[in-house]
Amino acid sequence: MAYEEIAVNKPLILKILPFVSVGAFLLLWEWIVVSGTVPSVLLAPPSQVFTLFINKLSEPNPDGAVLAVHAWTSLQEAFLGYGLSLLVGIPLGLAMGWFKVVEGLARPIFELIRPIPPIAWIPLTVFWFGIGLTGKVFIIWIAGIVPCVINAYVGVRMTQPALIQMARTYGATDWQIFCQLCIPSALPMIFGALQIALAYCWTNLVGAELLAADTGLGYLITMGGRLGRPDIVVLGMISVGISGAILGFIIDCIEKKLLAGIRR
Amino acid sequence: MNTMNNDHIKIRVTNLTKRFESLTVLDHIAFEIKAGELVAIVGPTGCGKTTFLNTLSKLMPATEGNILIDGEEANPRKHNISYVFQEPTCLPWRTVRDNVAYGMEIKGIPYKERMERTDRIMDIVGLSSCAHLYPNQVSASMIQRIAVSRAFAVEPDLLLMDEPYGQLDVKLRYYLEDELISLWQKLKSTVLFVTHNIEEAVYVAERILVLSNKPTKVKTEIPVDIPRPREFLDPKFMEIRNHVTELIRWW
Repeated sequence: MAYEEIAVNKPLILKILPFVSVGAFLLLWEWIVVSGTVPSVLLAPPSQVFTLFINKLSEPNPDGAVLAVHAWTSLQEAFLGYGLSLLVGIPLGLAMGWFKVVEGLARPIFELIRPIPPIAWIPLTVFWFGIGLTGKVFIIWIAGIVPCVINAYVGVRMTQPALIQMARTYGATDWQIFCQLCIPSALPMIFGALQIALAYCWTNLVGAELLAADTGLGYLITMGGRLGRPDIVVLGMISVGISGAILGFIIDCIEKKLLAGIRR
Repeated sequence: MNTMNNDHIKIRVTNLTKRFESLTVLDHIAFEIKAGELVAIVGPTGCGKTTFLNTLSKLMPATEGNILIDGEEANPRKHNISYVFQEPTCLPWRTVRDNVAYGMEIKGIPYKERMERTDRIMDIVGLSSCAHLYPNQVSASMIQRIAVSRAFAVEPDLLLMDEPYGQLDVKLRYYLEDELISLWQKLKSTVLFVTHNIEEAVYVAERILVLSNKPTKVKTEIPVDIPRPREFLDPKFMEIRNHVTELIRWW
């Protein structure tokens, strides 16, 4: 018997579509401001934002740092918080899904903490850690850990019961079932969590920086507001958006590579 | 055939009872299986065949009674019990080959021997050509074959099969039944085959245990002493089939 794997090519039109929509959006936006439909003191047109972007690559004023410094600060905070939330959240969620004792101990606390918006922690965080890196990492960690725990937990719970029974009849121990069946079954959900947690972390990063920061993309947005400069605000927002999208794309690629074995 | 010269009792079930609160599903079931025997179990729909297998495989504790393998209480950690389920139970993240080896892996069989046995069994059932594929790349019958191969590969003391071919079409079923018989003859495993297809039971088994309605007992047992390969139109085959049908008819 011959088995063949066939690659299916995406039609050209589908490849172009994303560029068309982004281009159309930018043109519409430019037109709205240039035509005066929205006054330019309220919204900066993309061309002005782009000029500012080029300018901010080398010019620290008026907010105190060049764009790369803001972006680097934010990336550092986000990645520390994100990494820590994966490191704690995924193993915790996996264990909660399989081990009744862990679920019994951790679930009530988790359910209580879960509904609290991460930015509600800001005042306490300032008391505890001041306005340095640690406090922001803590907020981001709180934000990222929730989807990690939930997805890993649900992923383990979704392990097919028939597979578990099969392993049991061969005499598999609980630990073997957990490692060999539950964790691989949960992987697609865990990769979902990587994406969601990143989005949560990145969103709350801006929140954390709004209150307590001296550099960072969130801080850039706040300063733009204080200085009455919509172009700075928009530049900050776009930087957050684009860097978030790039990170998401990178994770997507990693996921595709790693999950190549789990074809469903 | 291979049991004729071996009368050693491998499995002895005594007084097996399973109750769910006031509902008695299995009622003092008792039977014996000789080493290397292939026994089929048939019974009316809903008679508790799956509960019966789950209790035998120790997935479910029995309310009363004993299941002895070689005179010792059955224990999945100690004895080799294999179970082929009705539904597909292949691990989607493992290749066909690694799926076949999975049972042996849990049993802690050394790598080299595991691979030898895997290769041998995949040869017998014709899985070698797709050893490197993943379960979602092969057909439903292949998936069931993987499960059957995995179950035989651990050289089980007792192999339980719960209507493994129930969801396949007739042609494939005939083919896989022949394959099952050839695996069983080559590996000399002790097999308990549950089915609701009477023809299938007469075709594969050396002995048929007929179960009653709930509370389930062993109503009777019928030896199938027809030489292999068996023919569906053989008068003896039809006689046994009609006899079993008569025993479990519920219409």
